Amino acid sequence: MKVPLYLAVAQWTLLFAFGLLLIVVFRQLGRTLHKDDAVVPLGPEVGSKAASLEYSRFADDTVQYLAPGDGQPTLLAFVEPTCPSCEKLVLALGTAEHSGELSGLRVLLLTSSPKSYLKVSDAFRATRLECGRILAQATTQAYGATSTPLLVAIDRDGMVRAAAPAIELAEVRTFSRACSFPAAGGESIPITATTPQHENDLEAAAPAAGAD
Amino acid sequence: MDVLVLCAKTAVACLLIVAGGAKLADPASFASTVRLFVPLRIGWPLLSAIAVGVSLGEFAVGVASLTFPAIMALDVLVFAIACVFVAVSAIGYAFHRGRSCRCFGALSQRKFDAAGVLRGAVIAGIAAVALAHVNAAALQLDATARVLLFAAAALLAMTAFTAARARGAGSRREVVAQ
Repeated sequence: MKVPLYLAVAQWTLLFAFGLLLIVVFRQLGRTLHKDDAVVPLGPEVGSKAASLEYSRFADDTVQYLAPGDGQPTLLAFVEPTCPSCEKLVLALGTAEHSGELSGLRVLLLTSSPKSYLKVSDAFRATRLECGRILAQATTQAYGATSTPLLVAIDRDGMVRAAAPAIELAEVRTFSRACSFPAAGGESIPITATTPQHENDLEAAAPAAGAD
Repeated sequence: MDVLVLCAKTAVACLLIVAGGAKLADPASFASTVRLFVPLRIGWPLLSAIAVGVSLGEFAVGVASLTFPAIMALDVLVFAIACVFVAVSAIGYAFHRGRSCRCFGALSQRKFDAAGVLRGAVIAGIAAVALAHVNAAALQLDATARVLLFAAAALLAMTAFTAARARGAGSRREVVAQ
């Protein structure tokens, strides 16, 4: 059967047109995936106003409201009992607390896990620091707590002075200094994030509230 | 020579189909380009209707040109549309330089510039080549071939529509991220 010349040419042209569109789609897909990998901020922006938050305190099972900027510098630690790096951070915070380096600071361990999960970790079970469960997923979003551990230093005016992953005692000390840093000027203490992050996703775990 | 003319004819037809399908993915943004060329102050619903009409017109002429290659009047119409492209590019270059032309919806980020005028002229040139006489036997298509070409044209438009929508969504993400 003889194919008309026009049909043969049209087929090739259509093939090229589809190929070009396929390239456009794949380029866009690659660009989108690259962006998703590259631009995932961890922690709130330094110098911004810290968001208020609600948490369920494990010690007495009461709901607490924290409004940064109430005059007390605060050190927030977003941690998970199932995360080994978080255990180290909790131990480091305990050591700093014991030695009085965190005096005058409000230190708060925040997790998305239920109270029963604390049993799996010696560090969490033994800590004397205030520990609570985040009640709203909006809190993890506001603090950019997409992975743990994350330490956030908030000064007495409620401004974020430092935010980065941390596990070592030296890093805890730097953050405790950041909390007391003079508020004027808006400058921040540079924090070097050398800590390997745990892939725990607080946002994913937060909707499980109430499963305790 | 016949192959060259037929290549030009099908290429311009495919271009119109892709441009029409891509514009239909985001008529609102194309309407903002249309507004640049409408001297009267008219409402967005009418501008959107014009944008959709232009997009559907491009698609319809492209499909007709692809499936009915023997109709000479369609080749003339395609050439006239290509001349309009040149005129729009030139006016855009003169009065709205640097503004996005949305000629292919979100598929292209081209703006009104000198290169755009040149691209329009090249398209018009290709459409002019398609006006050349071709041996009638080369254009003989039966009903099945026409239906298949129509289906391929519809698929091409849908692919362009989807690709433009994906690119448009990606661009909006960029803006949000900034």
